[in-house]
Parts: sequence; structure tokens; C-alpha cells
Amino acid sequence: MSVAPLLSIENLNAGYNEVEVLHGVHLRVFEGEFVCIIGANTAGKSTILRAISRQVPRVSGSLQFAGTDLSTRAAHQVSALGIAHVPEGRQVFPDMTVEENLLLGAFTARTASDLPARMQDVFTLFPRLLERRQQLAGTLSGGEQQMVAVGRALMLKPKLLLLDEPSHGLAPKVVEEMHDAFVEIHRRGTSILLVEQNVSLALDVATRGYVLESGRITLEGPSAELNQNPAVRAAYLGI
Amino acid sequence: MKRWIAFAIVVVVACLLPLALDPRGYWIRVLTFTLLFAAMAQAWNIIGGLANQTSLGHAAFFGIGAYTSTILLLKFGLSPWIGMVAGGVFGGVAAFIIAIPTMRLQGHYFALATLAFGEVMRVIANVWVSLTGGPGGTSIPFSPPSFANYSFKLLLPHTYIAIAALVITTLIFEWIQRGAMGYRLRAIKENPSAAEVIGIDTTRVKLQAAVISGALMAMLGTLYVQVAVFFDPDTVFSAAGISIRVALVAILGGIGTAIGPILGAFFIIPLEELMNEWFSSSAAGLSQLIFGLILIVVILWRPHGFVTVFRSLRAKFTGGTAR
Repeated sequence: MSVAPLLSIENLNAGYNEVEVLHGVHLRVFEGEFVCIIGANTAGKSTILRAISRQVPRVSGSLQFAGTDLSTRAAHQVSALGIAHVPEGRQVFPDMTVEENLLLGAFTARTASDLPARMQDVFTLFPRLLERRQQLAGTLSGGEQQMVAVGRALMLKPKLLLLDEPSHGLAPKVVEEMHDAFVEIHRRGTSILLVEQNVSLALDVATRGYVLESGRITLEGPSAELNQNPAVRAAYLGI
Repeated sequence: MKRWIAFAIVVVVACLLPLALDPRGYWIRVLTFTLLFAAMAQAWNIIGGLANQTSLGHAAFFGIGAYTSTILLLKFGLSPWIGMVAGGVFGGVAAFIIAIPTMRLQGHYFALATLAFGEVMRVIANVWVSLTGGPGGTSIPFSPPSFANYSFKLLLPHTYIAIAALVITTLIFEWIQRGAMGYRLRAIKENPSAAEVIGIDTTRVKLQAAVISGALMAMLGTLYVQVAVFFDPDTVFSAAGISIRVALVAILGGIGTAIGPILGAFFIIPLEELMNEWFSSSAAGLSQLIFGLILIVVILWRPHGFVTVFRSLRAKFTGGTAR
């Protein structure tokens, strides 16, 4: 019995202006999966997420999400399909309170009746945001800002959560907290596609992984398998 | 609620104020233009303050409004009220057309592009003599005094129309700022890429703001020339006299706040008049020089506008913090 994947990327080429970054990428995320993309800087990991969110100008190939051809959607229409993107680098609204940031996350679902419940879910995941509820997001620490960005994405109740380098530039303790939160989000039933430079952490939390090198997928498999793969160990884990 | 009571009190005081002035005097004229500039700065504030796009070309819409109502009156005998609405439509359309290519620009680039647009409109109005009368200027023809004709014996009705215009533009500004559109604009202003991923159509929202701002500005162009009676392309499409002055009023008063343009206008416009009255006979350009120096001092003293003076005063009295 085969199940249709939630997200299916076939033969994706993408780039900016004259530069092609991705060459023939195939990638799938099934419902309930926690998938990571690992690879060096500039391999094109973020570009995959940005292509899904329709933020890359030049794209060819097929991008299917839950039966919808993403190439027919504009960037601002993607979130309404149930894809929440947490962009790289703590992208919060600095002059708005934590609460306003979270509410804006449910912007396309602003008539939903369960907004308080959704916010409560975010607060149980990140109790620190509850304490900081009325504080301006720009005044928070880096880790807290990242929590706001992730919380804002969760307010959408997404089917698929795209996480772009969520641990980049954070203190090791916060990174761990963050990854615990991702495991919990996944346990609550959200599919996740994680892009991460911190390979050991990514393979630790994700169930399956892809290795991206210079815009091409060179390896894929269950995290445990990749973790044991000599090439991965040599290139990314420094073992 | 308290805000609305304060607002009502200010409006009532504003309505009583003109009665204290000599109805044929100089100061009621200054008051009327001050009110109109406050309203214009408020219209500018929608795009300049809420959408964070510093337009230096709002004279384009202002002039479109001025000429639309005047030409309709001259050639078809239509009441300037109808002309005002038509001018608003043209102003909105012009804002839409210019916003499509310029909205992706940010900061200085947007300012320069809009500045150029205003100048292009000025040149067109000067050259298109058959439509505008060219550099020789245009007079508003006399019509029998009545409200429907937008023609009055005294200045006082114009003053009240200007008060109404300021109240309406301020209410529109507040309504946008507090509504869903205000949140969208704030999100775009604070973080455009995050705004896009949460599902905000950034281009569309900015276009909406530009169209509302341009349409209001054009309608105010009609009100202005009905008071001024005579105008030429260099006046209504003036970069320094309209575009930059309107932006300056909003910025000096407090950009992005409802009260800012009002404070700014009531400071700048009477000050400029006073400087002209006091110094224009002593040396050419002296009044402008002193006016400029005062503006520099003010901007250094209160870089975020006069509105911060009021906020810190209020904080002092209520014991709260100034934001």
C-alpha cells in the first residue's frame, strides 16, 4: 500500500538571476515525518525551503503539496495551504509584542475560533514566551526571538513546518531546548522539514535525512543510517 | 474611550477658534492653510508613516486634484464637489500606476522615484497648455456663492471645510492603523520577509495604502485651490512647496502617528508665515534661512517628532513610561 507524500519535489532546479543553486533535486516528506536536509554552507539547503515557499524567482520542476501544485501559488498564498516557514535568522516583528507576533502567525486563519487554544499550545511548548507575552519581540534574547518565530509558525496549525537553521547563532543550551521543542512539535503531529548545519543534532531529532552537496542530493536515508555512513561521518561529523 | 473624548474636545475647540479671528484678516487664512497642510500630511502619513515608503512626489496627486476640479468647472460647469470626487479617482489611479513599478523600491530609491514622478507631472502640466492653461496659470471662475457651488463670500466656510477635511483624513488614518490593514502594514514595515511567509500579500497592501493616500491627497488639492483661487503648475506640482513640505510636516510632527501631522502643521506653517512677515523686508532669503535653522534645531532636539514631547509630558503626569 503506498501513501501519497505530503510534499513531493521532483527534479527541482532553482536559482537567483544567472546563478542556478539547485540541480534536479528530488525530495519527499510523508505525513507525520520529521525530515532533515544536511549539508555544507551554500549547498542550497535554504533555497529548497525558499522554493517551497515560492520565494525563489527562478524555479523549474515539480513542487506538489497535499495535491496542490505549488507553482500555481504566490508566496503569500503558501501559508494558507498549511505550510509554515520559519526563515533563517530569528525573523520576528521587533516592535510588536510577543502576543502580537503570535497572532500575526495565524493571520490567514484569523477567523478561527481556537486562536486562544493555539496560543496556549505555544505557551506550553515555550513557557518563557508566556512570561514575556507583553514584551516587545525586539527586546528578547536571541533564543527567545527564535521561540517567537517558531511559535508564530505554529499558530497557523501547519501540516508542514519548514525550519531554516533554527539553531544558528544560539547558545548550546538554547539549541538543545529548541531541538527538544521540535521533537515535541513532531510528537504532537506536525510534519517537519528541517534545514540544519549542525548535522549531529539534526540527525539526532529527525527520522530521515537528505544530504545536499552543491545543489544535488547525494545521499538519503533514515537518520540512524546516515549517522553510521562513513562519508557523512567524515564530511560532517568530523569523525 | 478617553481618546475619543479628547478628540471631540479638540474638534470643538478647533471649530470655535476661527470665530475668534478677524473674518477678513490674515490669520484666518494662515489657519485654513495650516489645517489643509495637516490634512495633506495625514494623507501622506498613510503611505509614508504606515507603509514606511517616504514619498517625495505627493504634489503629483495634489496637482491632479487641483486641475481636475478646476478644468471640470471651467469646461463643463461642474461643481468643484463633483470635481473633487473625480480628482480623487484620478489621484487614486495615478497612485496605482506609479506604485506598481516603484513599490519594490525602498528608502532613498523610492523617494527619488516619486520625486521624479512629481516633477514629470509638473513639466506635463506646464507643456500641455490646451488642457491646463500652461505656465500662465489658472483662476477659479466666479460662481454664485452657495455650498453646492463651493463658492463663499467669506473665508470662514473654507476654514470649516478644512477642519472637516482634517478630521476625516485623521479618522481614515486611525481606522487603517487600528484595523487589519494597519497590522499588515506594520508587519511589512518591521520585517517584509516574515510578513510574506505568514501570508501577507506585501505588494497588494502597499498598493492599497498608496491608492488611498493618493486619492485623499488629490481631493485636498481641490480644497486648496478653492481657497487659493489662482494657481499655476509650478505651485501645485511643486516639489519643495508641496511634496517635501508635506513630508516634512509629518516627519517633524511624528511620522506614523495620528497626531504627528497636526502638530507638525501647526508648528511649521504659521512659523514659516511669521518668518516671512518679520524678515522678508530686511534681506532676501533671510526668512527662509532662519526658518531652515529652526527646523534643524527642532529635528536635532526631537528626532522622532513633536509627538515625543507630548508623550514624555503625559508620562510625567500619569507616572507611566514614554513610548
